[in-house]
Amino acid sequence: MGKGGFVSGADQRSEVFEKAAAESLLGGYRTLPGVRDEMLDADGRPRPHWVPFLAALAGMGPEELRRRFGSADRYLRDSGVFYRVYDDAGGGERPWSLSHVPLLIEQSDWTALSSGLIQRAELLEAVLQDLYGPARLVADGDLPAAAVAGSDEFLRPLVGVKPAGGRYLRLYAADVGRGPDGRWWVLADRAQAPSGTGYALENRLAMTRALPDVSRALHMQRVAGFFQALRTSLMKLDRTGEGRIGLLTPGPLNETYFEHALLARYLGFLLVEGEDLTVRGDRVNVRTVAGLRRIDVLLRRLDADFADPLELNARSHLGVPGLVQALREGGVALANALGSGLVEAPVLLAFLPRIAMRLLGTPLKLPHVGTWWCGQDAERAQVMEHLDELVISSAFGRPVPVLPSGGSVLGADLSAAERRRLSTLLARRGVELVGQDIARLSTTPVWTGERLTPRPFMLRVFLAATDKGWVVMPGGFCRISSTPDARAISLQKGDRSADVWVLADHAVADASLLPSPDNVKVRRSSGTLPSRAADNLFWLGRYVERAEATLRLSRVLVGRLAETGDSGTSPLVSRLLGLLGAWGAMPRDLARATPARYAVAVLTRRDVPGALPQLVLAARAAASVIRDRFSPDAWKALVDLETCVMAPINAAPSEADAHERADAALRIIAAFSGLASENMNRLTGWRFLELGRRAERAISTLRFARTFGEHGVPGSLDALLQVADSQITYRSRYVMMEARGPVLDLVLLDPDNPRSVAFQVDRMGDHLRVLPGRDHDAPPPLWERLVARMRAELAAATAESFAPAWFDEMEKVLMRLSDEIAAHYFLQGHSPEMTMTLVM
Amino acid sequence: MLYDIRQTTSYSYAVPVRVARQVLRMTPMDRPGHQHVIAHVLDLSPEAAELERGTDFFGNGLTWLTLDQPHDYLQISTRSRVDVNATPLPEVSATPSVDDVRAAAAGAFDLGPRSPVHGLFPSRAIPVDAAITEWTSASCPGDRPILEAGLELMHRIKDDFTYEPGSTIVTTTPHEAFVARRGVCQDFAQVMIAGLRGLGLPARYVSGYLRTVPPEGQARLEGADATHAWLEIWCGAEAGWIGLDPTNAIPAGDDHIILAVGRDYADVAPVDGVIVSSGDHLLSVGVDVIPVER
Repeated sequence: MGKGGFVSGADQRSEVFEKAAAESLLGGYRTLPGVRDEMLDADGRPRPHWVPFLAALAGMGPEELRRRFGSADRYLRDSGVFYRVYDDAGGGERPWSLSHVPLLIEQSDWTALSSGLIQRAELLEAVLQDLYGPARLVADGDLPAAAVAGSDEFLRPLVGVKPAGGRYLRLYAADVGRGPDGRWWVLADRAQAPSGTGYALENRLAMTRALPDVSRALHMQRVAGFFQALRTSLMKLDRTGEGRIGLLTPGPLNETYFEHALLARYLGFLLVEGEDLTVRGDRVNVRTVAGLRRIDVLLRRLDADFADPLELNARSHLGVPGLVQALREGGVALANALGSGLVEAPVLLAFLPRIAMRLLGTPLKLPHVGTWWCGQDAERAQVMEHLDELVISSAFGRPVPVLPSGGSVLGADLSAAERRRLSTLLARRGVELVGQDIARLSTTPVWTGERLTPRPFMLRVFLAATDKGWVVMPGGFCRISSTPDARAISLQKGDRSADVWVLADHAVADASLLPSPDNVKVRRSSGTLPSRAADNLFWLGRYVERAEATLRLSRVLVGRLAETGDSGTSPLVSRLLGLLGAWGAMPRDLARATPARYAVAVLTRRDVPGALPQLVLAARAAASVIRDRFSPDAWKALVDLETCVMAPINAAPSEADAHERADAALRIIAAFSGLASENMNRLTGWRFLELGRRAERAISTLRFARTFGEHGVPGSLDALLQVADSQITYRSRYVMMEARGPVLDLVLLDPDNPRSVAFQVDRMGDHLRVLPGRDHDAPPPLWERLVARMRAELAAATAESFAPAWFDEMEKVLMRLSDEIAAHYFLQGHSPEMTMTLVM
Repeated sequence: MLYDIRQTTSYSYAVPVRVARQVLRMTPMDRPGHQHVIAHVLDLSPEAAELERGTDFFGNGLTWLTLDQPHDYLQISTRSRVDVNATPLPEVSATPSVDDVRAAAAGAFDLGPRSPVHGLFPSRAIPVDAAITEWTSASCPGDRPILEAGLELMHRIKDDFTYEPGSTIVTTTPHEAFVARRGVCQDFAQVMIAGLRGLGLPARYVSGYLRTVPPEGQARLEGADATHAWLEIWCGAEAGWIGLDPTNAIPAGDDHIILAVGRDYADVAPVDGVIVSSGDHLLSVGVDVIPVER
């Protein structure tokens, strides 16, 4: 039956019409021999639930399709969806590429899959409860002890530790594929810290941009309810009553860090690294700008092994010392509990059918890939005998000598020498290996730009534990192979992903019941800005402002040359160069170059620490660890800035090129400033960004005034007005040429000029007064006294005050203020050190 | 044999440490068939803000401590009285064959602390190594009694390797020590464990003390003893774990006092900790193992 709606009526005639339209898209779509296809049945006819979708696409025509798919791509590019690739030479990030045709799944099919996965989640939870508790499965002979002890995720310090809230698993995922028999098969279980929910969400947002009408008409089920369920279930573990939940990330170097930041933003959780947390007593606390704040719940994306250097991996610098002790006392709930990764081991698949009968009393509803553990004599012999029909994998998902880089290998692909090595290994350490059936995947259509073509895929489905049982996300993360090889083993590096649409039989419930993703409430309590985030925001502000000052200086430098043809000998130009030199923006290897070449070097040289590229990279690095705090637009402005600054420039750049580059970069910085102040909720975080910018702007403006504010250097007062961006204000106020007194008054003292030093100092005072942790009954802290002192200085100053000693003093106080803010609110750069252990 | 054991471990820090969290594995425990702990005292200076005692998975004695006041040194002193009464070795030929031990370990249905399965797998500090495995396999034909194979390996290490303090550090890998054919007790224990595991035979790491006998006519020097390391090899369900000391080519007997057992050094490290400080630190350790006249 068509799920019609957007083609007029659902009568006989429109169904015929739909079919005809659908078939027009299918020209040249050849299913793979012996492989099931999601879209076409065995006779090459579109399956009924695909027909309306195909008709809709066919009805749009190629031009419209390109436009719509293009808008999805733009969305993903703009939101900066990326996946960090470790094996990339530069450790670079690559965008996640979206296949524009969603995987369509019928309600009844989905219901059966869901019910099988819920049973599986319950079973794996029961397995963890047993293995970290009485281990009856082992004692009673259902599971050999070596199949447990061999896993790196059997965490001995956690044996006997009851997880807070009573559960190990709160978020579970399974990788499934559909076999030639039409059934869904489980290929792998993800229980440690399943990734992909965030990517699924981004794909969904992109696709609902491209095909909003189609998704509605097909009754695509929404996924926001799933995230709400997860959030609500975690919220119930919070006993502070402050609704604080952390998302524990290994940090920006992790391959899925983008997703951590995205989820933290979307769910309203605090994105924290190990360094942000500290155990006091049996409680976990987050270091915030307002002091330590207890945190009861952590959604964990950090692998368990790294979680506590005291009792797990002593070499971990990412964890929280004492975390395991806090867990023992029930002081913190981790989702998932440490040690949950144990049930991911492929060896478990060999025993799970038996364990299901034992623990649940019923057989597994969903089949999983046939697996034989080579730690047992009979199974080992079987595997050797049928080697050509099997895949050989690590029993515990870790590197094993005979397997290529820790992955799996097809028995049939082994050379004679490799077979001998495998056979020796099996005889000695069969416990390390499993033989598995070769799973074959079904194919789903991908859009090549002109037509559809079938590609094998694997689907990751996510489940969240709630009070009322497991909830399945109606959708998922679909990874699509780049080749037509349908054996699951070839899909270890899928390079495309697709949205997954579960098509309800009836119109899906109104958005008021199942809110669309955009309407999920984001809550962030203002008192819990982690110190590390504040530190990075502050420095982001300083780097961006320094970049702006550097740009303005280079622009003036180029402008001077263009206007007057100055050579390097002019006193003004040497002052400009001197200031850039003092900031380390000037390459040393350019002695006696023309000023134009200096300007270009400042704008483009990547190897000079104070030049623009390095400043922008530093800004981006500071921003990347607090990505959860930026709107996608503000983030995009930073990415644009980097792109602009890093773009190649002519081999022999003209002054016009340099001018253009500086203008473009300044425009982006202006956009970033606007977006940051408009879009970042004006909470504590924004104030630290502001403090950084204001402090840096005050310091640069003092430098400018000092360098260009002297008598007798032609053009220098005009240059000062330019670098301090105060020309228009000056002209509107004084109908005369630049004169030292009025110019310095405007740039340094005028509290109404948003570029003046006085203005910066006032704003800093405003921010510092309202930061959390300020005790208004106590005497004012040192930083407030420093601000008061600067205000008094600025109020009392006249044009005659501006001697070198005055500038020195002001700059010194500003530096001191910056240090004071850092000492009080940030981590002070004291990272924990490991003590050397004893040599025996 | 009855012993009084004193160990003093001192850290001194160039810059005061603000906060320290540490876990100590310095408390000897009762080991049925080997030793009984009569008394044990652990003193800290400065005193800890929080201190808790317990045992780990393998039954080793643990002390967790937190110091939250700035301190520029930390001294940990332990005093223990331990009665060691090692079980004599079983009849070598009566121990099960190498093949039988391998099958019994892989097929064990015991996940408890004394189970052979915990000694079966590569661990962080002792990965399985092809070269060591091949070297080991020469002593381990499938039908040979496991203890005979173990004793021969122990002697081969003693004969082929040079004991040379300072030639390795705590992070030297078994492979490096094997290639250099030199090292200290930790290296020898790790090499032997790596080889046995490579063949699917369970072995585990032991830290402890060794009574040293002063040269004839000389008095025992104070603090001259050292901490020691050896290994245990699993010899089937009946005989269980048997201690072998490849550094001295002797089975662990009445001179060996066990401090902790585990998969490798990481499980038994006397101190693991995290300190918040910006400076360097110095470490000194003094050990006295004094036999007590009955």
